[in-house]
Amino acid sequence: MSINEHIEHKIFHVELQTPKQNVKTLPELQENLDQFARKYTTLLDQGHCVCITDNPMGLLSFQGTEVIKELGLPCPAGQVSVHLNTFHTPADLQRIIDDCLKLGIGNLLIISGDGSDRLPKLQPQDVAADEAASVTSVELIRHIRQRWNGQFELGVAFNPYEPFDHEMEKMRRKIDAGAQFIVTQPILGRHEMLDKLLKLVDMPVVVEAWMSKKLHLLSLCVGYEIPEDTVHNPMDTLKQLVQNYPGCGLYLSMLGYKTQLPHLRKVWN
Amino acid sequence: MHTPTDILRQQFKNVWVVAELRHGAVQDVTYELLGAGRRLAASRGCQVWCVVLGHNIKPVAQALIHRGADVVLMVDHQELESFVDEVHARQLQKLIDMHKPEIVLCGATARGRALIPRVAVLVRAGLTADCTGLEIEQGSGLLLQTRPAFGGNILATIKCTDFRPQMATVRPRVMSALQADPSRAGRIIDESFSPDIAGRRMKVLRIIVDTQQTINLADATFIVAGGRGMGGKEGFELLSQFARMVGGAVGASRAAVDAGWIGYSHQVGQTGQTVQPKVYFACGISGQIQHLVGMQSSDLIIAINKDPNTPMMQLADYAVVGDAFEILGDIMEEIRKT
Amino acid sequence: MKIVVCVKQVPATHDVSIDPETKRLIREGVAAEINPFDYYAIEQGVRMREQHGGEVIVLTMGPPQAADAVREAIACETDRGILLSDRAFAGSDTWATSYALACAIRQIGGVDLVLCGKQAVDGDTAQVGPGIAAHLDWPQVTYVSSVSLVNVGCLNVRRMYEDGYELVEVHLPAVLTVVKEINTPRVPTLTGRIASLKADVPVLGPSDIAADAGLLGLNGSPTRVVKTNPPPPRAAKSVRLEGPSRDVAKRIVYEMRMLSLI
Repeated sequence: MSINEHIEHKIFHVELQTPKQNVKTLPELQENLDQFARKYTTLLDQGHCVCITDNPMGLLSFQGTEVIKELGLPCPAGQVSVHLNTFHTPADLQRIIDDCLKLGIGNLLIISGDGSDRLPKLQPQDVAADEAASVTSVELIRHIRQRWNGQFELGVAFNPYEPFDHEMEKMRRKIDAGAQFIVTQPILGRHEMLDKLLKLVDMPVVVEAWMSKKLHLLSLCVGYEIPEDTVHNPMDTLKQLVQNYPGCGLYLSMLGYKTQLPHLRKVWN
Repeated sequence: MHTPTDILRQQFKNVWVVAELRHGAVQDVTYELLGAGRRLAASRGCQVWCVVLGHNIKPVAQALIHRGADVVLMVDHQELESFVDEVHARQLQKLIDMHKPEIVLCGATARGRALIPRVAVLVRAGLTADCTGLEIEQGSGLLLQTRPAFGGNILATIKCTDFRPQMATVRPRVMSALQADPSRAGRIIDESFSPDIAGRRMKVLRIIVDTQQTINLADATFIVAGGRGMGGKEGFELLSQFARMVGGAVGASRAAVDAGWIGYSHQVGQTGQTVQPKVYFACGISGQIQHLVGMQSSDLIIAINKDPNTPMMQLADYAVVGDAFEILGDIMEEIRKT
Repeated sequence: MKIVVCVKQVPATHDVSIDPETKRLIREGVAAEINPFDYYAIEQGVRMREQHGGEVIVLTMGPPQAADAVREAIACETDRGILLSDRAFAGSDTWATSYALACAIRQIGGVDLVLCGKQAVDGDTAQVGPGIAAHLDWPQVTYVSSVSLVNVGCLNVRRMYEDGYELVEVHLPAVLTVVKEINTPRVPTLTGRIASLKADVPVLGPSDIAADAGLLGLNGSPTRVVKTNPPPPRAAKSVRLEGPSRDVAKRIVYEMRMLSLI
């Protein structure tokens, strides 16, 4: 199922992080894996698309496809999406792509990603981009498009909090390299830059909703201070997004499984 | 092995500086340590000896005396020509056993950091590495060694009360060399190489000089960093030029790396590297918190930006309002001229 | 090849405090991680085992929670690990630490190669590697950026200096300290992590490694930390410089010269 079809059928993209690597005991790891499996299957059962992160914030986590394989989790067509960043060895990149193909995961969100001193980094020669100074999402998307042409639907990120000209210049390069859909950073109801973007691009856009009340975490994620007095009731904000961006998809991060998940259908249907 | 008694400790005298030679030339850090050594020797009322191990090293003795050595202790032998750690270490151990210095200083260079810790174990001595301060304590006459720890969060002072010699390594450009004084006189002691310490377990096959080697960001004492304001790859070429001129490394904000202007290995910040250089030039960097946490321990921050009110301009010790290209161009010109 | 990798558990650098009496680190309750440089040593050991066969053993000295550092190394595919932990070791400086590690290496027996990271980020001293080599009376090569096995018992290594490098031949057994250029450390897999959490980490004390008690701990250490201070605070406000670029440049260069920066 393509992104367009997700939008058409009002299928939520729900972000799910894999367990972190810094566990101290086996029972703790087991518990984290069980919790992941429970959330994963719940989301699939309710007809949503699960989006699995790739070492967000540079914090070492277990790799998405490895966890899916280890736990024997199902991958119904079009219902699983995987983030893929530039902080991998070439061997790992190959392995992840192979796993995605075998599992039937056809949807990838390609991002530059967050590094750390524990994470390796793709070098230009690893992605046939010898002239590039650095491997960003642009080089990675181009490489995947060329090597595995037509086998994946490839998305890129858009950050409305960065200076617009700079961000659109990057977006142009990403589109040139083969981007097929766009996922934004969290939007609180409405954002001028997103409005501008929608006028400029001709591809599906999925808008991220921050489902947590904690704004300082959002500030950390996007790299800019969100004013503390910003009014933010996540479910209300989500309703505003549905209203303001009717032709767009919805990507939910920090979802409350007990308090919010049961009510999603009421908001977008 | 016993703790030396007071009587035994009194036998140890003089400040030694172990010279660093590269391809026959005395490195600046040696002169800097002779400067520091003279200061310590004045407090202790003793002499400064400079120890030189190598081959065909006689020519360097006079310069060492002019820069502060009272005695130059030399072991000149083919076996010491290349740096084989265990051979140099055992030779230095023999000299220490023979002449009993109270204090031994050496540059915290690649070679110094390999040699001196080995010697410290062999002679059962205390060693403090990477000292930023050396003083003689009033009353006790002990060497007080100061160094930063935990990424610069803490300054520690270390003493070695019972064991001799007291050993310390110091990084280049921390201490000050004395001006060469050709009227200074000193004497030269030629010790012979002891054949029993010759090594058969390690051999230097080839020496390759590569002055183009880029300086590691984490070790750099001078960093020139660029952000979005540098506009593109050309901006970073300018920064590279400046960095080469001052012997520094190039850093970058995440925005610049994500824009593809420079490689991730140059990224400074929370998802890049943490640095503590002596000076950090921030050119066209606004100073998001994730970047600031990576460089806020820099001793001196000089920010250049057209906007005077960015977080980086507020953090900086010197906030230069202007066009980074113009300012850097003029800085380089000024350095070239003077 | 029997390879021992010495690692150190270090506090996350922003979370440290000092015991006012011993002037040494308070390690309890502080988020700890493996010294970043050690990952390169671990990776090097594992790669050499993959190439030449044998065993990679990780060794560390520290308080009981340093067992986590051993497990972290096992997650990165070392075969097994040993923790040296005992009150007798507490307060050791690098002389006493390298002595204890050397005793443990002798105890393990038949070791061909000891690998260490270039330096530790806490203490930052880079002394332990050469210290171990001195205690064992083995040859040492520091700042190694590549290793190849020439024939049994002999390695060719590339050793980095500030202005270039040397190609060095060294006979085993030997101690090497490695730099980041040597490899790219692998990220642990879920399988590796599960294995590490199941691993048994033996804890050894002085008598297990035939160590002379007089050479251990605070009392066996030639150096003593007598004072700790926070570094001098940053000046309160910035000096703003504006106006003609030439004048500003002159001022900056002057300031840098005054501070001997150029």
